[in-house]
Amino acid sequence: MSSTSNSPTGNNRVRIVVATSVMLTFISYWRAAAVILNDLGSSAFYAGGIAEQAIGKSAPWFVLGVMLFAFAVRAVYVESCSMFVRGGVYRVVKEALGGTLAKLSVSALMFDYILTGPVSGVSAGQYIAGLINDTISIADAHGLIPSAIHHLFNGTPQVGVNGTAVVFGVAVTVYFWRANIKGIEESSEKALWVMQITTVMVVMLLGWSLFTLLKVGGHLPPFPTLANIHYSDESLGFWKHSKLPHMFGILGLIIGFGHSVLAMSGEESLAQVYRELAHPKLKNLKRTAIVIGVYSFVFTGLVSLLAVMLIPDGVRMKVYSDNLIAGLAMNMVGPQVVRLAFRAFVVVVGFLILSGAVNTAIVGSNGVLNRVSEDGVLADWFRRPHKKYGTTYRIINLIVGLQLFTIIVSWGNIYTLGEAYAFGVVWSFVFKTVSMLVLRYRYKGERNWKVPPNLHIFGVEIPIGLASVGMVLLSTAIVNLFTKSVATVSGIIFSVVFFAIFSFSEKINRRKHAHNAAQMKEQFQLQQAESVERETVGIRAGNVLVPVRDYNTLNHLRWVLERTDTKEQDVVVMTARISQFGSAAYGLSTEQIFSDYEQTLFTRAVSVAESFGKRISLLVVPARDPWSAIAQTAHNLESSGVVSGLSSKMTTAEQAFALGSAWEAIPEPKRQFLLQIVQPDGIVDTFRIGPHTPTMKNEDVVLLHRLWLNITREPGLENVHHHDILTEALTRFARDYGAREHEDIVKELRRHSADDLPIPVRRIADQVDTVQPGPARTDRDDAHRDAGPSGPASGTASGIKTTGSE
Amino acid sequence: MSVSVVLVKILEYMFVAGWAGSAIVLLLTGFEDVGTLLDRKDENSH
Repeated sequence: MSSTSNSPTGNNRVRIVVATSVMLTFISYWRAAAVILNDLGSSAFYAGGIAEQAIGKSAPWFVLGVMLFAFAVRAVYVESCSMFVRGGVYRVVKEALGGTLAKLSVSALMFDYILTGPVSGVSAGQYIAGLINDTISIADAHGLIPSAIHHLFNGTPQVGVNGTAVVFGVAVTVYFWRANIKGIEESSEKALWVMQITTVMVVMLLGWSLFTLLKVGGHLPPFPTLANIHYSDESLGFWKHSKLPHMFGILGLIIGFGHSVLAMSGEESLAQVYRELAHPKLKNLKRTAIVIGVYSFVFTGLVSLLAVMLIPDGVRMKVYSDNLIAGLAMNMVGPQVVRLAFRAFVVVVGFLILSGAVNTAIVGSNGVLNRVSEDGVLADWFRRPHKKYGTTYRIINLIVGLQLFTIIVSWGNIYTLGEAYAFGVVWSFVFKTVSMLVLRYRYKGERNWKVPPNLHIFGVEIPIGLASVGMVLLSTAIVNLFTKSVATVSGIIFSVVFFAIFSFSEKINRRKHAHNAAQMKEQFQLQQAESVERETVGIRAGNVLVPVRDYNTLNHLRWVLERTDTKEQDVVVMTARISQFGSAAYGLSTEQIFSDYEQTLFTRAVSVAESFGKRISLLVVPARDPWSAIAQTAHNLESSGVVSGLSSKMTTAEQAFALGSAWEAIPEPKRQFLLQIVQPDGIVDTFRIGPHTPTMKNEDVVLLHRLWLNITREPGLENVHHHDILTEALTRFARDYGAREHEDIVKELRRHSADDLPIPVRRIADQVDTVQPGPARTDRDDAHRDAGPSGPASGTASGIKTTGSE
Repeated sequence: MSVSVVLVKILEYMFVAGWAGSAIVLLLTGFEDVGTLLDRKDENSH
């Protein structure tokens, strides 16, 4: 518990409480569905076009078949989540088939994740380039392009579609590389917003398409028979010169299915968001699965079908193969300018959802590599945090480097990218389903739901449903190995290289980790705790919580220790182990939560405390969001204050606002506390988190005092206090605000607000004071000083001086 | 019959049998899904 020798165990090791439950802000199933659909729904923009390029006009039936089958795959994920809260591929395969196959499955998953970025970025670029070219062509047809420009370009000016897609793909990837290096925060709010806009587009698209069908008619695509499947040169891969694909009808179906399977990429996200689903978890997971199933069936499936029905054969694959939804928009009934405007809307939505998928790819890959790195199968070198931002920049650099390489090598060829992408998608599903089958016999723990139907013969369970899903996936994956030569070669090379890196790193790390573990055992004693409680950490109420992240910036800890008598007030040094969307699916053991990095960080913190000869308590909390972790920990530990350093990404006001928002999300009853942010130059900003006595303007105090003087002159009101007047005034204000004078009050407040230009943080965390740096005080000084803004919070938040008198 | 033809036949049987079983999965989970959707208890949609 302490940095000195009085550990409860009686030895010299420092006790560290490691909370094993992640502090999450739980989300509704609608938000969870939005997060998944940001990935799953993005494939609607390219899956139909890729499938038709490979197998011809009957492709929409295969896409619809894949979307239908996706319901069954979802059932597998529901079962895995009912067993493991973090039931992603790595966890499930490791549990069922062991470390070697888990590494192989993660290699396939990495191939999937890394290709998600390029395929999404390039697809968005294709939509943008298509819009630019068609707009110029239409302008030209109306005589709006000057003849000089015509001469210059030898005709209608057009941008190179693939080149533009590459430039755009690179730009978006670089943008999100920068954002991830800085450490962006994923929000389900943003995902929900993107899906709301996408839904508007989908409803318009479907409504307008049906109207067009009623107006001009249309024909269903040819049914998927051997005669109607027209393989392209690339779609048969190693079987290009074989008679096999032309001999067997069902093989043709498998080939077609294999070329459409990428339409259900993104299912893995279901396991990742499960942790964050609100109670009742399993029921909400099922609801999420229904929402994403119906949505993707309607969006990806029906859009592919309508595209074949409405876009003429002559232009569909020639012009719109890489931007099928744009082609659909341009082939509706209605004025050309309105169709062009709708196409622009399609491009904006495509940009939003596909760009989001680029980011998801980086976040997801980073999460997976972090997870395997924690397991010792990737050198620790990769996990060294960025000096300024604290992110795992080396892993991000590696991922983005591979993605940029892929974009440039493919040169904007969405077909090649999509085909390769399908390799990772289908093989990660195969690993997952086969592992779930194995776990039906090996796993003895709790399982709340099973994929139906299941037969029982002589007491042995036969998982018919699970085996059936596995058979479809395995047969498709094997056929894909033959028909997708580029995907097979690149996928195998990638997986083998990653597998080799993992295995080699694991060997090197094993010895090193054994040494570190021994060293850690000598220095620290880890104590697991399901949740963070004051009693568990062994501290008193009114303590000071000091969140730390970067071992290079511990000035705020020094600032606290300089001013706190730890005999009177406990100091808790806490670090939040952040688990992002991409990594939330992977279970963390205590050793992983308290990794090498946390060890170094706490070693430094302990050495700072030792230099002051003061005690500190140490705490590690796994969390999805650092602000929620800090707010919840401060609440649980009954802290009177939180003292933080200045964020590299936010101002002090923004930090206070973020913490204030996290505090608002904590259910009642809850305590208020002080937040003090110590800047590198020694300036300290103090904020009150939660409802509190506001800082009153002098003229308001004078007005209150005058009112009090007048009122106390009234007969029988001699004993009225200032606060009685405030209570009466506020009661009247609340009544007027809730009734007839609502508009007037809002108008007036807006006017004041515009005059004062207040910072948004004032709504939750009201800034109290700013303290200039001064000489450090001794403990003796601290014992007598008022626990005001210039020092860490005292036992109560009311220690702050306020103006006014009574 | 060559090895490749045998392999293709096995894959075809797997695919067909798998789809037949998956159709039952879809049917059974579909009924359950309707029940889940109709059960508004504990629903939080914010």
